[in-house]
Amino acid sequence: MKPRTILLAGAAALTAASMALAMTREGRADDAGTVTPDGSVRRLTEAQYRRVVADVFGQDIRVVGRFEPDKRVDGLVAVGSSMVSVTASGFDQYEGIARGIAEQVVDKDHRATLVGCEPAAGDTEGQACVSRFFAKVGPRLYRRAMAPAEIARFTAATLEAGRTLGDFHAGLATGLTAMLSSPEFLFRFERPAANGKLGGYARASRISFLLWNAPPDATLMEAAAAGTLDTPQGLATQVDRLMASPRFEDGMRAFFNDFLLLDDLDTLAKDSVLFPQFNANVAGLLKEQTLRTVVDLLVTNKGDYRDLFTTRRIAMHRALGPIYTVPVAGRDWTMHEFPEGDPRTGLLTHAGMLALHSHPGRTSPTLRGKAIQEALLCRKIPAPPANVSFAVVQDVNNPTLKTTRARLKAHLDDEECATCHRVTDPIGLALEQFDGVGQHRVTERGEPIDASGEFGGAAFTDAVALGKLFHDNADVSSCVVRTAWRYATGREPRAGDEPPIARLQAAFPKVGYRMTDLMRAIALSITLDPVPRAPASRQQVAIRTGVPPS
Amino acid sequence: MNRLPRRMAFRLLKTLPLAAALPVLIAADTPTGGEPGVRAFVLTNIFFAAPEEEGTCTPLADGGVESFYNSLPADEQAAFADPAKRRQLEHLMKERLGFKATRMPPGAENDPDAIRQAAAAAGFPAGKGRTAFANKRISYDSCTDPLDFMQLAKGYRHYDGKIAEGANLDGKHKRNDFRSAAGEPGIDNQVWRALGCTKAFRDAGDRKAARQVLMSARAPTLIELRGVDDLRNDPDVTVNVMAGSDALARDARGGPLLWSSFATDPDPALRATTKGRIVDGVLTTDPVDMRLNYKEQIIDAPRDLRGARISMTLKPDGSVDGRIYGYYTLSSLYASIEQMSQDGASASGISCPGVYKAIHDLADGYPDRKTGRKTAISSALGFVGVPAFAVPGERIAVTGKGAGL
Repeated sequence: MKPRTILLAGAAALTAASMALAMTREGRADDAGTVTPDGSVRRLTEAQYRRVVADVFGQDIRVVGRFEPDKRVDGLVAVGSSMVSVTASGFDQYEGIARGIAEQVVDKDHRATLVGCEPAAGDTEGQACVSRFFAKVGPRLYRRAMAPAEIARFTAATLEAGRTLGDFHAGLATGLTAMLSSPEFLFRFERPAANGKLGGYARASRISFLLWNAPPDATLMEAAAAGTLDTPQGLATQVDRLMASPRFEDGMRAFFNDFLLLDDLDTLAKDSVLFPQFNANVAGLLKEQTLRTVVDLLVTNKGDYRDLFTTRRIAMHRALGPIYTVPVAGRDWTMHEFPEGDPRTGLLTHAGMLALHSHPGRTSPTLRGKAIQEALLCRKIPAPPANVSFAVVQDVNNPTLKTTRARLKAHLDDEECATCHRVTDPIGLALEQFDGVGQHRVTERGEPIDASGEFGGAAFTDAVALGKLFHDNADVSSCVVRTAWRYATGREPRAGDEPPIARLQAAFPKVGYRMTDLMRAIALSITLDPVPRAPASRQQVAIRTGVPPS
Repeated sequence: MNRLPRRMAFRLLKTLPLAAALPVLIAADTPTGGEPGVRAFVLTNIFFAAPEEEGTCTPLADGGVESFYNSLPADEQAAFADPAKRRQLEHLMKERLGFKATRMPPGAENDPDAIRQAAAAAGFPAGKGRTAFANKRISYDSCTDPLDFMQLAKGYRHYDGKIAEGANLDGKHKRNDFRSAAGEPGIDNQVWRALGCTKAFRDAGDRKAARQVLMSARAPTLIELRGVDDLRNDPDVTVNVMAGSDALARDARGGPLLWSSFATDPDPALRATTKGRIVDGVLTTDPVDMRLNYKEQIIDAPRDLRGARISMTLKPDGSVDGRIYGYYTLSSLYASIEQMSQDGASASGISCPGVYKAIHDLADGYPDRKTGRKTAISSALGFVGVPAFAVPGERIAVTGKGAGL
């Protein structure tokens, strides 16, 4: 089915869906209050959706349903979130999820704490209760202030639903479903204020989702309302507060999860005959391992980003011991340190990274090299031509070409293939001493594995040496700055964005390549800088205006 | 003992031509972690080692149910001749012989008074019955009280072959000794003479079958080698035999997960240390008394072995295949039999009274100082294992062998 905006889907739906649209077309209380094609519209990721619901209603409200798949654009879901809408079937799913949440909020177990009121003498329909409820949860769900007229419309529609259904709480659930199904909830609207810069609530959301991967808390909302975020000092105060919170770890995890494509581990499968040690549980733990290692180095210890490629310290879980062939005494996560001289150091030798960019039954220096070039070096590798023959590479039982290196070398006889493989393969071949699930090996079919190569004009002998070269390579540190900027803004840089990105890249070495300092600088930069003017996509315009694209 | 630092080992490995490196590879299997000079293995199955010998045990020993059936008059035998009526036959045996069973009261495992009261309430004869079925039941039957039902030992028979697995434990050549498959005389393995014609033990002891099953999954035994310079040849290694507190994990193929970490049970009774040596990839140890956890299915009864010595082949694929030769104490051996209770014995085709009588008749080691009666029986336990890590564990509650009333 061709994607349609949620507006089209909403037109076909009853009650909550149509109510959601009616409630969000006008009457906003924030910023200029007018629809504008500038700024960006980003769909909440599943993690962000869950976070908002948990923050507003509590952890025990279950969020059940299938979300619209995220789209990764140039390596980042964060960028893709600015380019996606909601399909008609996706809207059905969102509405179903919303209904499930709303029914829990008003059920007998939760209504006392989450609704807090009910119809009473003198207010038999419960108008005051409904109004109070939406005034309380509405701004938190929409991440902005709501005008009295906006709340009044939600209240009226909710009471009408209650009358129709003959049940006050059923009506309230319908109204809440509408709010949770509305574009104002499902999307992050970053509207510029009259001065061309982001409005207060948009700033609050930007720094909150960047630093916490969560909606603004009450303090940040108050700061937005008070205009505090409009001043550099006021903004810095809030940024520092957010970064001092334990939730900053969540924000950094979200960034590295996106940056390193770790979500792909959730669906990674391997040939169980060839790799019986690997299963879905192990894959999940490998993702967690890399995220914990990143947090330990870069957040807890405020470390140098470059050390991520040379550190011998890694988060370890007992269930991962068989993959790494290391003893693990604790039953929970612990930090493990590989000894000096160990073949594993740094991110490039994390089993999760190695497994992720391999085939189900064998390694792939090309996939590994391509992933590293694109993600860690910000270099674009073109897709292979459609008519390329991989016969030699895939012939793992070749009697003479026993190692992957040997087979790739034969493949390079085709000059058309060689152009790209010369870029990707040296890095991938450096990791050949780790099999398709990241287990260490020194031979392949009885042949010693040669892991040497050249990177950035320097020769290396193995993955450890390559990690050191990555540590010292300027492109590596520049790339993470650029990627973090793209992640924070949810879009590709435009012409006017290059100078501030260059400033961030220049400043990174001066702060010891500390990611915490980089994220702080980005949070301040992207929030204070003017919103670039650029035409919005047809779908984005549709979401903002309620008029479906023709 | 000189230990090769790991980084040196890796450098050495890189510089060696493949032919020279291969023995090192085979020996070390190139783990990237773990303490230098230390290798451990988790045993996935321990079993009575069966010899490869044709033409013995025909017919096999009768189980308790078969002996009971044979004791019935002809008309009753005809009524129960159909194998489909085996359950009814077992029920008849239970009724005729007065077997009793009751559930272990909650929390009463270590409370003899509570067990006695529960047994009395279930109509047990005074002073009779024992805990069984992994200590989840209290039973009175031919397994818990074999001397009360010796009629069920009537069809039992000993193994009368000439060959058995084992070692010459006493250094003597006796009339009742076996020969090894290689022709070595003086092999002491009277437990196989006692059990070797019972189908359940023969099936479990088959070497190929033993590799296919994970029997020691709940609390497996670990063998740890320390001070290892070369897994092919090392004249002096320390060998620790320990109990793991963690269950065996399976891999995606259903086999044991290699290189898992197992916390060791800190109970000193479950740890034995001895010296050993490796010659051409085969470890042999000095004798040592050891207690091996035996927690398999319905059984929870440690194996007590006296003067036990290990012979273990370190295989090129990293796994191990070995034997423990020693004297199995009669009390711990029979504890594992009685734990299965009548239900387990009937299902396995075992005659508990037959086993009881046989192991006591054939016991050949460690005479009691006062009575002179032998308290242990020579044995050869086979085992298979895979590489693992032993890590220090916290003390856990240890459930012992079944308690009498």
